[in-house]
Amino acid sequence: MSKKVVIPGELISAERKRLGSNVFVSNGKIYSKVLGISEEGGEKASVVPLEGRYPPQQDDVVIGVVTRAIFAGYNININSFVESFIPKSAIRDDLKVGDLVSAKVEYVNELREADLGFARRLYGGEVIEVTPVRTPRLIGKGGSMLELLKQGTGCDIIIGKNGRVWARNGNTELLKKVVLFINDNSFKSNLTNSVEEFFKAEGIPVSAPKRDADRVNNFVEESEVIVNDLEESELLN
Amino acid sequence: MRTTVLEYDLSKIVELARQGKRLDGRGLEEARDFTLELGMCKNAESSARIRLGETEVIAGIKMGVDKPYPDNPDEGAISCGAELLALAHSEYEAGPPSLDEIEVARVVDRGIRESKAIDFKKLCITEGEACWIAFMDFYAINSSGNLFDAGSIAGLAAFLTAKIPKLDENNKIIKNEYQGKLELKRLPLLTTFVKIGGQIMVDPTYLEEKASEARFSVATTDDGLMSAMQKGPGSFTLEEVNKMIDLGFKIADERRKKLLKEIK
Amino acid sequence: MSGKVKENMPDYKKDKKRVDGRKMDELRPLSIKVGVIPNADGSAYLEWGQNKVYAAVYGPREALPKHTQNPLKANIKVTYRMTTFSVPERKQPRPNRRDMEISKVLGEALDKAVFTEQFPNTEISVFVEVIDSNAGSRVACLTAASCALADAGIPMKDMVAATGVGKAFGELVVDLDKAEEDAPDAVDIPFGILPNTKEIVLLQMDGLLKKSEWAEIAKLGYAACEKIYEIQKKALTDKYQLSEVSQNQIVDKSTPKKVEKDSVKTKKESKEKAKKVKK
Repeated sequence: MSKKVVIPGELISAERKRLGSNVFVSNGKIYSKVLGISEEGGEKASVVPLEGRYPPQQDDVVIGVVTRAIFAGYNININSFVESFIPKSAIRDDLKVGDLVSAKVEYVNELREADLGFARRLYGGEVIEVTPVRTPRLIGKGGSMLELLKQGTGCDIIIGKNGRVWARNGNTELLKKVVLFINDNSFKSNLTNSVEEFFKAEGIPVSAPKRDADRVNNFVEESEVIVNDLEESELLN
Repeated sequence: MRTTVLEYDLSKIVELARQGKRLDGRGLEEARDFTLELGMCKNAESSARIRLGETEVIAGIKMGVDKPYPDNPDEGAISCGAELLALAHSEYEAGPPSLDEIEVARVVDRGIRESKAIDFKKLCITEGEACWIAFMDFYAINSSGNLFDAGSIAGLAAFLTAKIPKLDENNKIIKNEYQGKLELKRLPLLTTFVKIGGQIMVDPTYLEEKASEARFSVATTDDGLMSAMQKGPGSFTLEEVNKMIDLGFKIADERRKKLLKEIK
Repeated sequence: MSGKVKENMPDYKKDKKRVDGRKMDELRPLSIKVGVIPNADGSAYLEWGQNKVYAAVYGPREALPKHTQNPLKANIKVTYRMTTFSVPERKQPRPNRRDMEISKVLGEALDKAVFTEQFPNTEISVFVEVIDSNAGSRVACLTAASCALADAGIPMKDMVAATGVGKAFGELVVDLDKAEEDAPDAVDIPFGILPNTKEIVLLQMDGLLKKSEWAEIAKLGYAACEKIYEIQKKALTDKYQLSEVSQNQIVDKSTPKKVEKDSVKTKKESKEKAKKVKK
């Protein structure tokens, strides 16, 4: 199986296949919808996008910024096509414009507006902005990359699927460098190993959880993992 | 890249400024480096593309023949225009000129015009009948702050490299033939500052402009003169203004050196 | 056109080559670079002969004012403009009727390529700016805009490739330059297609043409757009080299080692402290 960069409208498969994300069918053939990476020879035809704004999806964890506070609640910028809204009843903290919140996307309607739940204010910390569609690589398969980043920098980290990485404590400067490197090279292979080696060379003991023996085809699968370490990273709130 | 400015960005910049720091790691008195390309637009009498940090501006000059103003029958003229293209930032809109657009064009214009760098008498073709008008227009292609300085450097580069077309017996421009170059007696350049959290810093980025409590530009020449000043929003003490003028001379000198090296 | 018949008028049937030495079906040199405007969601810079254009895409973003919103699809809004110095005679800065018309037809061409129904109530704003020109700026803009849309990650059915085709000095030609557009028998046809489905999305014409010539011109147009499509594809994919990374590439980007080690140590201590507090 080999990976390939495809452009919108490019033929992915002339055969019938299971349809994954970012593809469409025309006259029985499967084409890419976006500029992205497709894997040839698999059972499923899908494309991992390389660019674009954040398309909200149910169960995503996002980092939002309050843009407006009105009587009923708050407008939240989540880096998407339109803003989201959190009613005052859904959040304990009093928010003001500019505050950061973490939240989970509970529902996305047909207008692609996201309803947010489990919202809570984030105190302090820094935000690193990345390309939203590339965040899966910051999490890694089974959360392996995220774990490495935490060990290597000592930071508490929340990776918002909307392209915002929130971090507090620890060496946020170092984290920023590594995160931006991963973002810039998200389409290349051997990322997890390189980051692990990098931390070791810096004299920082890390060990990536080795849950995946077969690293060749991890690109597509990585996009399907969810953040499962959130509770731990939020422990200091 | 997200260009929507959030309150969050601004408070971070103010907080850093209070510690004497900037978001991009620059020193307060450190201007961004720039690169320059010249002459890419063949339809223009001169053109310059400048990248000041991530800010990109393109300037070009068209020479036109017109009737002189009745009150100055033996003089030509210059005209400077600016467009903050909607291409350059998500907050810009295509439409009638915005106040920011008009201000930046006029400040760049004054810096050059008032320095008397260009002898308008030399732009006269036939007294009372025909004169040259040098139209310099600059366009923001990517706006990452400080279009004043970017426009000023690109504009000066364009004036310094502008060719004067040949004319036929009816004072009509002959295409692709030139009789010489525009002459400049001195080289004015703008230097722009903002005040954030009580700190003066040079060459602001877009976010720094948004977070600033005051803004100031000064145009200085290579022979130690000032040709224009413009205070934008906010206020400064006299000491602050003096400090910015001193720094303005210093930074303009460095930029001028680099500019002349590129043009040679 | 002046009524004067020029001496030494080229005759392409006899000359077998064009004023600038090209073959009848040969394009001027074309190069495209994407991602040139960092602020934009997607962007492209294109040089095509003397033509130089920028394209930037912002969005999908909320369509404003609200009454322009369409609950079923995104609006594609193209703004075509030229700088004052992009033409031989200085252009007035304000947009003219030509700018408006071109903006409209380019928007309608791109609309067919984009899955607009995926983004209800939004606008996808496309700005194209011509900084230098010599015939064919609108097809240059459409070709660049399509790359900028793809660079913005916007879902599309296909790219849009476009070129000028037509007739000059007695022959059918592709990619007319200014001298050819000014030929007495000039026919200029901006021609844009979706390369995979072959649907025509841009088609205009100035000049007088025989029906039989049109069939031939369309063929030339398709063949030229194929070539343009390949250049678009290369511009978009070249940015992403699917090589392996190594740790050294990260080291190059980092600050001096010593500082990092020290700071990590202190941060670790602080974290331990924090854990103690928690207990």
